[in-house]
Amino acid sequence: MSDLMTTRAALQETMTFLGAIASGIEEAIGESANSITYLAGKRLGMQLSANIRKTDDVEEALEAVHQVLLDNNCLWHFEPFKTHDRPALVQTTDSGDEDLHLVFRDCMIRQSLFRFGHHQKGSLCTMMFGFFSGALLNVMGVDSTLEILHAGENACYKRLVIHRKKGEDQ
Amino acid sequence: MVEINVHEEACRGCKMCVDICPTKVFAFDEEKRLCVVEHRDDCIACLSCAYLCPSGALRHEDYHIVKNFYRDLAFCAKMEKFI
Repeated sequence: MSDLMTTRAALQETMTFLGAIASGIEEAIGESANSITYLAGKRLGMQLSANIRKTDDVEEALEAVHQVLLDNNCLWHFEPFKTHDRPALVQTTDSGDEDLHLVFRDCMIRQSLFRFGHHQKGSLCTMMFGFFSGALLNVMGVDSTLEILHAGENACYKRLVIHRKKGEDQ
Repeated sequence: MVEINVHEEACRGCKMCVDICPTKVFAFDEEKRLCVVEHRDDCIACLSCAYLCPSGALRHEDYHIVKNFYRDLAFCAKMEKFI
């Protein structure tokens, strides 16, 4: 077996194992599992983006996060998505925050959950929320929320909200 | 761009695809009592509609297929494209 295959097999076994653990933790401790995975994801996001270039622009920040994932060989590709009923990709909300929609296609979390039929939108998905939160905190210096609007079989649809600090220039 | 084909003879007008679609790609034709594709460009190819459709009336083409994790490594070693 080639090295690449061995690496893939090891990654897939690890992710499947992680999926089983996450599912078990959710049953054992309930919603607290989300807090644990969120913090783990946030720490990972902050570590991997420690030396990243700072920016205030949302689209540039997302490109930077995407590059962080690529540099670390993470199969977590996402793309900004604008539907017909949204006038712009990035919109300002009534509370002064900015939001945009993201589509996640290849996702090792979804694949590991599907391997044994675990639920989506659980604690492992919250880890992705944490990762974004940590990475965007390093890039933009603000908090963010990644809400799952729809978890599908072949892609997930999420809403990213950038919480602008009060008094900060938009 | 994703192509969505609705098999009009198979569609039973249950509106499940209309309800499940997160980007409101489908609309319901009240006259024909069928679902119709109204905003094809908005399809993210999550395939939830196709999985949910009770009569299998929806078919997608030209979309990115997510690769599944392997089931049997020896088999997948011969069929590497699936991994």
